Amino acid sequence: MSNNDDAKRAARALAAGDPLAALKLVGRREDPECLALRGIALAQIGDLALARSLLDRAADAFVDHPVERARCVAAAAEVALAARDLTFPLETLSAAIGTLAAGGDSVNAAYADLVLIRANVLLGRIDDAHERLSTIHYDIAPATLVAVRHLLAAEVAIRRIEANAAADALERAARAATVPSLQTEIADTTKLLDKPAARLLDAGDERTVTLREVETLFASNTPIVDACRPSLRIGGEIVSFLRRGTLFTLLLELARAGPAGVARETLFERVFESKIADDTQRARLRVDTSRLRKMIAPHATIEATGEGFRLLPEVVVLRPPIDGDHAAVLALLADGRRWSTAALTAALGTSRRTVQRALAALEADGRVAAYGRGRNQRWQRPPLTTIATALLLPNLGPIH
Amino acid sequence: MADGTISREYGPFEGVDGVYGVDTDGERIWYAAGDSIRALDPETGELTERIDVQGDAGTAYDGTHLYQLYEDEIRRIDPKTGTIVSTVACPCGTRGSGMAWAEGSLWIGEYRGRKIHRVDAETGELLATLESNRLVTGVTWADGELWHGAVEEEDVELRRIDAKSGEVRERIHVGEPGVMVTGIAPTKDGRFFCGGGSSGKVRVVGRGED
Repeated sequence: MSNNDDAKRAARALAAGDPLAALKLVGRREDPECLALRGIALAQIGDLALARSLLDRAADAFVDHPVERARCVAAAAEVALAARDLTFPLETLSAAIGTLAAGGDSVNAAYADLVLIRANVLLGRIDDAHERLSTIHYDIAPATLVAVRHLLAAEVAIRRIEANAAADALERAARAATVPSLQTEIADTTKLLDKPAARLLDAGDERTVTLREVETLFASNTPIVDACRPSLRIGGEIVSFLRRGTLFTLLLELARAGPAGVARETLFERVFESKIADDTQRARLRVDTSRLRKMIAPHATIEATGEGFRLLPEVVVLRPPIDGDHAAVLALLADGRRWSTAALTAALGTSRRTVQRALAALEADGRVAAYGRGRNQRWQRPPLTTIATALLLPNLGPIH
Repeated sequence: MADGTISREYGPFEGVDGVYGVDTDGERIWYAAGDSIRALDPETGELTERIDVQGDAGTAYDGTHLYQLYEDEIRRIDPKTGTIVSTVACPCGTRGSGMAWAEGSLWIGEYRGRKIHRVDAETGELLATLESNRLVTGVTWADGELWHGAVEEEDVELRRIDAKSGEVRERIHVGEPGVMVTGIAPTKDGRFFCGGGSSGKVRVVGRGED
């Protein structure tokens, strides 16, 4: 039948990443298959809202066809992710994967599995994503599936600060990719590997470093105070200072000063933001110094000097590649996509208030723009291609 | 890489300088022929209709009206009377290549820009400009073999991908040296109608062994 042929040809056009050709074939028909194909075409074009409504309509229309319905659900889930709607119920996606696999649609089951893993990456569940991905091997699979799998592996590697693994995966992805938008994505991600990921302060000299250099640094047992993910890396351990802001600020000041140490009065000002040097402040500093000493023992310690304190041993300091507060929120927005406050909160594993304060400050500075109002409000900044943001993004555990 | 077998060729037609946009409404092939828009019956090979409106890239059809890109304009044409009903400016100037109609909008690809403009088909208002720099979504309805058309500059290559292994099984080069390929529309039987640009021909291209 001519209609079926049109749908088949549209499907092939979409598989080749040519959504306009597909639209020409199914743009005018309302049967469920064409709704779905049109939805996929519009997703590929980038009109995510329209794509989502078409895919939802198609899913409803496929009420007696569980496999086709599951395809629509999987596509809608991917569109939701792209729209940064991280509240999409992932159990629905898991169920769809099961239906696809049971129905013999192994290609889409595998693809939807990759979408689920990618959702975990966006939510900061990097170790979960890494584990699942390492169990996935394709002996034979369509080129796009192979390319997407490797691209995802690269994204996970980048978040784990494994630049060499990322480069390797990106190379494999590039070899497999034949769809133009996928090729663009792979090329853009590859460029990021050579961008500044952090600033490194070492014995008084500061320079920018790439992800690769950070990876080498982390592997070298050099003691590091990492202001990107507030932590101290020393003696094979990582001491986290998440939610220990004041103690980390103290550590950072001492780390930057090196063996010369920092005078008490300077610490009052920089850590407590106080210009008063009285007994209250001195007591406060003693208490915090003591707490800090406990956290960083046994590999590091804080010594009193005549005028103040110093940190031992000498450490290097990593700072975010760009200045300013709210680096983590900016890092998420660096992809140039529109994020809701809820999605930012979920991806950072922090509180909604923290995110709201960050957004208000960034908006006042003109660094992010708000679109829409209320529940539909979204935040966006132009895509940032000059830095690699991996160090600024959290690695969250499975439950947070 | 094989050269595509041209299994059928239509044209050149008297009075037609070149073939530019190509679209199919399931029964006829519409193509823009420079000084006019023509309908070609693929069975008989005859030109069945002619609309004397100039067009040089991108033809779309909403079931009632034809839309045609010409220079930096979008023309809306009534195929029954052959008249231009309205004209609006094309948001990408003269850089528009493919065009499709869906959901009340025209979707216009910008040659080399990797952008697609969404235009209200009634008013011509630019509704959005979209960049597709990441694949959303890869969920597929294509079973079995996956044909893949790749257009680089003015060279067109059709690739057949083995759906299981992902290998490129066949590559077909479409077009001849010095001749532009200016539009592709699929046939009913798995081949492709390709506009042959200034040669004034529409070719049906299939596999090498046909």
